[in-house]
Amino acid sequence: MSEVEEILDRMRADLADLSDQRARGALEPELANRLFRSAHSLKGLAGMFGFEGMSGLAHRLEDILDGLRMGRLAPDAPALDLLEPSVVLVAGLLERAGSARAQEEAGTEIAALIERIEGALQAPDGAGPPGAGEIDEALLRALTEYEEHRLRDSLRQGRWIHLIEASFEILSFEEGLAELTRAAREVGEVISTLPAPGEVPEAQIRFSLLVATDRDSPALQHHLDHPTAVVRCVHRGAQASAASAQRAEGERSSQGRAAAQQPTPPSRPGQRDHLDHPASGAEGAARSEAKPSEVNRRVPAQQEHDPAAIDDDAAGEAPREIGPELDSLKSISETVRVDIRKLDELMNLVGELVVQRGAIGAIAAQLLADPASARLGRELVKVHKMLDRKLQELQAGVLEVRMVPLRQVFEKLSRVVRRLRRDSGKDARLEIRGGDTELDKLIVEELADPLMHIVRNAFDHALETPAERVAAGKAPEGTIRLEALQRGNHVVIQVADDGRGIDLEAVRARAVARGLIDADAVLTRKEVLDLIFAPGLSTASEVSETSGRGVGMDVVRENVTALGGLVYVDSSAGAGTTISLTLPITLAIIQALTVGVADQRFAIPLTSVLETLLVDPASIQRSEGREFLNLRGEPLALRRLHAEFGLPAPPPEARVAVVVIGLGDARAGLLVDRLEGQQDAVIKPIQGPVRTVAGIAGATELGDLGTVLVLDVASLVEDVARRREAA
Amino acid sequence: MHHILIVEDSPTMRSLVVSSLEDLGAPVRITEAASGFEALRELPRDDYDLIVTDINMPDINGLELVSFVKSNAAYRSIPLLIISTEGSERDRLKGLELGADAYLVKPFEPEALRRAARDLLSKAKAG
Repeated sequence: MSEVEEILDRMRADLADLSDQRARGALEPELANRLFRSAHSLKGLAGMFGFEGMSGLAHRLEDILDGLRMGRLAPDAPALDLLEPSVVLVAGLLERAGSARAQEEAGTEIAALIERIEGALQAPDGAGPPGAGEIDEALLRALTEYEEHRLRDSLRQGRWIHLIEASFEILSFEEGLAELTRAAREVGEVISTLPAPGEVPEAQIRFSLLVATDRDSPALQHHLDHPTAVVRCVHRGAQASAASAQRAEGERSSQGRAAAQQPTPPSRPGQRDHLDHPASGAEGAARSEAKPSEVNRRVPAQQEHDPAAIDDDAAGEAPREIGPELDSLKSISETVRVDIRKLDELMNLVGELVVQRGAIGAIAAQLLADPASARLGRELVKVHKMLDRKLQELQAGVLEVRMVPLRQVFEKLSRVVRRLRRDSGKDARLEIRGGDTELDKLIVEELADPLMHIVRNAFDHALETPAERVAAGKAPEGTIRLEALQRGNHVVIQVADDGRGIDLEAVRARAVARGLIDADAVLTRKEVLDLIFAPGLSTASEVSETSGRGVGMDVVRENVTALGGLVYVDSSAGAGTTISLTLPITLAIIQALTVGVADQRFAIPLTSVLETLLVDPASIQRSEGREFLNLRGEPLALRRLHAEFGLPAPPPEARVAVVVIGLGDARAGLLVDRLEGQQDAVIKPIQGPVRTVAGIAGATELGDLGTVLVLDVASLVEDVARRREAA
Repeated sequence: MHHILIVEDSPTMRSLVVSSLEDLGAPVRITEAASGFEALRELPRDDYDLIVTDINMPDINGLELVSFVKSNAAYRSIPLLIISTEGSERDRLKGLELGADAYLVKPFEPEALRRAARDLLSKAKAG
């Protein structure tokens, strides 16, 4: 329902503007249209969610606003006074959306308001708009009722109607079009923007802007000052062009105000006549797809430069020029672009606060332990709890701001595939799902390169040529599927192709040739597949231009692991390969379980902790030099942390704790001496020699515990998984 | 796999349309466009099997999109479904005149949308 709130906010702001403009007696057409669109969306949403009262009221609002934008209602019509109370009522309804009784009570209020609106709408103000008979029907076809009304209204006011045609690069047309539209709006109203097919190069798109203005074609063309835009007059204005009039004024007085603001177009009168003359209209039409009949051939009766018209035009333009400026101010207030570093600073601050909170918790515990200070301790615990809740909200808020959808990266990838397709002669389509899945901005940025590499690899090496595919009984066009989905605190991204699959024998042979494995090594299928991530192994018989040389899947694994993620590959010969990345949603703050091993402490990200157990050393089974625990019938491979980090072992008969960690489908049990507690931790990358120690992801400050090393769950789990496969 | 382009500026409405069509009963892939402009950019990127568009949108409206699609040789054959609110009967008729293949009035039942989509997809296959 937040979208409804947004709509209501916008309507409130627009209604305030409307009441200002009504007071001034100058109504901006786009304002009425925007309000209409808001009411329209509101009606649709309310209807979709079954809020009948709200939908009915929104419908009446739409009626009023439609009347206003279509000119059926005068700006001083009493019905307009009912807009504001209606919006207030809808906002109230929304706030009490959960209460059925409130909705019922509001029902009578709504009915009364609807009745008043219907009463006010009974007597229509003014006559219907005049016909647009002079404009060719073909042009009117794609105009909505509202746009048609704006066109008729402009005709009634005797304005010039022009078509501006311009071509843009299809990938970046919005910027260029926005610029052109802005320029056109400075001197008139853009009634409609039509994308046009035609004889333009493939990478281009042409737009026609239907513009109503007080200027003639050369004056508009001059004002636009655009390299590709061509202005064609569709309907001549009833009065002299403002620009022509300005020229006349400029001739009369060299200090003329208008002349100073609007440089005189460097055109001779003869030239203007030529461009504007109906005879040249056919020429313009021949250039475009438009039929000559679209060009109005009526020659206007008067071409006089009436000085009275100057003042009218100047007065008429003033309020319109405010429009675009207001628009841009509003759009700023809705979204803000923030430097990611500022968010990092905020996140660090939140992290430090979290650490301080931990310290307060520790003090509270001390106070509680001593009967003399227990009362004070209980008070502090209360305050601590409150602080805790608010900090969590703050943390969640800052984290949420950092989240961006994967769509950005996915779109980049789809551009890459398009380019590859163009350059290679291979046919492939990229299917994208889950672009809305959100991840920390930093992770999304770091993912771009690995994903790009995986997709290129799939295209270059995995997908066969169309001929090979047909021979294998597949569609000539290959498919690469890119999919993201959220699983708890992790996001899984899969890149699947329907290509030839990984040739296990070839990978193995290559690995032996490179000395990565012994010729007689016994490897499982998964271990062989895993070899593609080993440094220096490339299975493609030739290195392609796009995949490049040197950067391989080993770099992909390195990058993903650095983000605390995991990479898996699965492949079946002839049917395709799937590469899955499992990544944490954010890197910034984690909840950690602290464990003790000898005199050291380690933190384990709680998102990876499945459960903790206290076990009797006797229940640990040994097989082939490895230790296992029977966990509900399933063998769980164990790793002793003291052995991993060269710390003294506990006495053999002491009870030990096992932390079961999991990432993706992999599981492992970490044997520790003590379980110490749960804390928030801000992971900071470690500088210096420790960084290279396997199994450590970083360090964190944990309140009174000082600096604690954070275990790299991904590498610990993976190691166990690999050993188990090997066993 | 049917590829459907959904053009709708309201995120809520868009997600409703998306979730309705995701349960089509046949494999679908959905591309979303939040405006007419986005739709124009998406169109050349892939082959679409169906376009579902709203009419009232901020940059270019749905009718202009219909006109563009149906007068363009590359896209003309893509079935096009208009979804619009009651009250825009005239615009809807114009949409049909411009070549839209069907329309649906909001609010609609998800099943009605699915039925319309299936219908258009199967017609396109047959044609």
